[in-house]
Amino acid sequence: MIEQRAVMTKPATQQPLLCVRDLKVAFPSESGRVDAVRGVSFDLHRGKTLGIVGESGSGKSVTSMAVMGLLPDYAAVTGSVTLGGENLLDLDDRRMSKVRGRRIGMIFQDPLSSLTPIFSIGSQIVEALQIHQDISSAAAWKRAVELLDLVGIPNPDRRAKGFPHEFSGGMRQRAVIAMAIANDPDLIIADEPTTALDVTVQAQILDVLRTAQRETGAAVIMITHDLGVVAGSADDVMVMYAGRAVERAGVDELFSRPRMPYTIGLMGAIPRLDDRDREALTPVQGTPPLLVDLPDACPFAARCPAVQDACREAEPDLLAIAGGGDVGGSEHSAACRRAAEIDDAAIGGEPIYPVPAERENRAAAVPREDRPKVLELSDVTKTFPLTKGGLLKRQVGTVFAVNGIDLDIREGETLGLVGESGCGKTTTLLEIMGLTPPERGAISVCGKDTAGLKREQDISAVRRDIQMVFQDPMGSLDPRMTVFDILAEPLRAVGERDRKTLSDKIADLMELVGLDPEHRDRFPAAFSGGQRQRIGIARALATKPRLLVLDEPVSALDVSVQAGVINLLNDLKAELGLSYLFVAHDLSVVCHISDRVAVMYLGRIVEIGDTDSVFDNPRHPYTKALLSAIPLPDPVAERTRERVLLKGDLPSPTDDRPGCRFVSRCPLHLTLSEPQQQKCRGVTPQLTGREDQDHLDACHFADLTASADN
Amino acid sequence: MLRYIARKAVGWFLMIAVATNLTYFLANAFLKPASNYTALRPPRTPAQINHSLSLYNLNPNKPILDRWWHWISGIVTHFDWGRSPTGGSVNDQVAYRIFVSGQLVLGSTILAIVIGVGLGVYTASRQYKAADRVWQGLSVLSFNTPSAVASLAVVLAAIALNQALGNTLLPVAGAQSPDVSGFWPVFASRATHAILPTISLTFISYAGYHLLQRSLLLDNINSDYVRTARAKGLTRKQAIYRHGLRTSIIPVATQVAFAMPALFTGAVITETVFAWHGMGEYFTKTISTNDVHGVVAVAAFGALMTAIGAILADLVVVALDPRIRVS
Repeated sequence: MIEQRAVMTKPATQQPLLCVRDLKVAFPSESGRVDAVRGVSFDLHRGKTLGIVGESGSGKSVTSMAVMGLLPDYAAVTGSVTLGGENLLDLDDRRMSKVRGRRIGMIFQDPLSSLTPIFSIGSQIVEALQIHQDISSAAAWKRAVELLDLVGIPNPDRRAKGFPHEFSGGMRQRAVIAMAIANDPDLIIADEPTTALDVTVQAQILDVLRTAQRETGAAVIMITHDLGVVAGSADDVMVMYAGRAVERAGVDELFSRPRMPYTIGLMGAIPRLDDRDREALTPVQGTPPLLVDLPDACPFAARCPAVQDACREAEPDLLAIAGGGDVGGSEHSAACRRAAEIDDAAIGGEPIYPVPAERENRAAAVPREDRPKVLELSDVTKTFPLTKGGLLKRQVGTVFAVNGIDLDIREGETLGLVGESGCGKTTTLLEIMGLTPPERGAISVCGKDTAGLKREQDISAVRRDIQMVFQDPMGSLDPRMTVFDILAEPLRAVGERDRKTLSDKIADLMELVGLDPEHRDRFPAAFSGGQRQRIGIARALATKPRLLVLDEPVSALDVSVQAGVINLLNDLKAELGLSYLFVAHDLSVVCHISDRVAVMYLGRIVEIGDTDSVFDNPRHPYTKALLSAIPLPDPVAERTRERVLLKGDLPSPTDDRPGCRFVSRCPLHLTLSEPQQQKCRGVTPQLTGREDQDHLDACHFADLTASADN
Repeated sequence: MLRYIARKAVGWFLMIAVATNLTYFLANAFLKPASNYTALRPPRTPAQINHSLSLYNLNPNKPILDRWWHWISGIVTHFDWGRSPTGGSVNDQVAYRIFVSGQLVLGSTILAIVIGVGLGVYTASRQYKAADRVWQGLSVLSFNTPSAVASLAVVLAAIALNQALGNTLLPVAGAQSPDVSGFWPVFASRATHAILPTISLTFISYAGYHLLQRSLLLDNINSDYVRTARAKGLTRKQAIYRHGLRTSIIPVATQVAFAMPALFTGAVITETVFAWHGMGEYFTKTISTNDVHGVVAVAAFGALMTAIGAILADLVVVALDPRIRVS
């Protein structure tokens, strides 16, 4: 096992392990010198975790790569990075390679691509060991198996011989962690270690990271854009913006009393599970500046609601705040002229970010039962054949991607569809958007059964009523079409030919989604991610649909921008009486935007109902696990929260035998008596309602724990 | 694995059989072996010509199916691929020429791969630096050099060298000197004769491997897993060699395997310039002399080489990439 080290209790009296001073990184680019990191300084003590938070382009990853010495040769790095008395920036690649892996371990964002595909997992860990230690291959292999065991890979003996493609994303990330801690490093850098993973797997991985830190006594730099992840794992937090640290404090201090308007903006922009009464999010207007030829001014000035003239005259330094709490061990500092005035996200009692007024939803005035159904799915099933053989394919199995789901959406209502990747969310959407009769069951859109749509005109008539917004705002817009052409296309498709009318309609659409109609002749590349997603929404609205199908519409956007798009969707719903089918893996977003929510697991809906009811009182063990896996942006709540950690990954949906699909991972199942367990395995649970009206779940024994742990 | 190869081999065997028989009928439809006799003096009567052709199973008056049956049973029973219109044995020609071509092609292929892949790795790890640009420029030049130009340039250079030295250090024509005997003298003679054509063939074919390997490796050098390898403590160079190269060499290996058949019959111009009597020369010669059986044998040989190349490519990919499953 890894040699245990005492975790220092009073780090402040010790020499810091890592000492970064005035780190600057610049890259040459076509438009000039990009100053990606502009003077970052911090200390990190043994056993402590520093969270670095920021949006894309804030310089957080570049900072970590500079510490690792993994930046390309053309990057100009200045300042100092001192690890145990040695300035790492002075070392050449050969000497730096003695530090990497030995004293600093690193975990990367995308586990799918960070392992070499042609070497077995075990041999890649063995390599990491043998680079730095003089041990025999047999001993190294034994150690590799121990490491895999430590990071929670079942059957490590056998799995070590497996290749990366045989591992799921979560399992690969565990292997990467095993590699990072193989040589008992002093410092572990985790660069967005869970961003690419499902929320349940994210919880597992964060847990493994904590184990790894405990076992090695290492300091951790945790880089993430997710404030929830930071709240649960960091001791100190550094918020980065435009290549600089703009605020730094102990985690409790930062979350309870943020002083920099950007930090406050970030916190206001995220939908929160634990604060559901808030009507609207507070987006941060504008976009981060380009890091080329920055003027000597606060880089956030252009987006800051509390900006003063002085902010534009000189860039503020990161200064300690008088009276800033000393809770987490480090002092509170912020790079803002008005930091001292800011208290509880307000200046002189006025909130810095005024909460935008929410529009009244007219549809909601009518009781749900009286509103017409815009979408109804009953017993919809979609299977894919599993084939084998090259020339003569033969079917060896069936993947039940969607297995008999029922749901309906009424006018003016948002249904959130959630579940882990691979649970059948996207297949469900594609079945709906295909407007063809499903393999089994029926789909009806705005009262028309898709089985009855035979003629071209019928189909296009229904198509007008149901439109889609896609996940990737860049990939879903043709880069060679102007905004005008993009928006005119659906209008022309439904028969609008007159250029004047088209022009007027497009101007209206652009205003509706908050874009300047003057920009109609620009290409998508000229817009930011959030603006592109607005174009995507405008395109979907062009035919005046009644139902919008949104496939992860905000997951590719930064937090501050995401809030604006979510608010827009809410406004549009209220103004136009739209209905949404909203698919997302981020439950906080779903919770914020949905009226009703459906939880999917392996092609089935396991729980469906009113959002408040489901989130306040989840009954299916899977829903409970999902909810408890979401990191809350509140360090106090994070520490005291009881987690239901799911074991393993989503199994593959290849059998259609009776029985509950969740049995293999269900924490409740383990506590049941033998006859009860048999029922779980042998009888497929149906969606059933209990005392309250709009809340169904598919669990035989949901009653047993409904009250116990809530 | 063996079963997989066996199944593949059977499939390819059928393919070769179909291709060969198809070529037989096509060649009989288009080629006129009688033309070899019409220019003879004194002129022969058609009856005489047909009589001569009958000896070699080429008489156009005999039904095609009868001729085919004769031809195919010769192959199946004695592996006899027939005779040319003037009576020469196709088997003898091909057996000799495969050996000559092999000598020419194998050496240059191995050299081209080693030089090409080596340069690819060398330049990819120095992207956009002077060495990369110089080598890439040279490769683009060689890639676009017609083989006749390359061969003649090599010949001219060798002649200049020989004249400067005053004796024939590098022979510029033929596969071996006609007047040597004994194993070692023949071996030495063949080796010296092979130097120039090998240089010229290598020069025109290495660039493809260089440019391909360079771009494939560049895709991998910046990949996440090479970065992970560096984060483990490998230097940049080690990470590129151990993790980047092996993944990126897979497509190159496939290309080499498939290039083999083209090389065997495609070195026509080089063979002509250096007066080597290999398969390439045979290929053009059999067509121009209306040698039906020779043409069919060349086609069969090409198909066989393609089959071997394809199976080799499969084997190499399976050996290098654990993601490929054989079933």
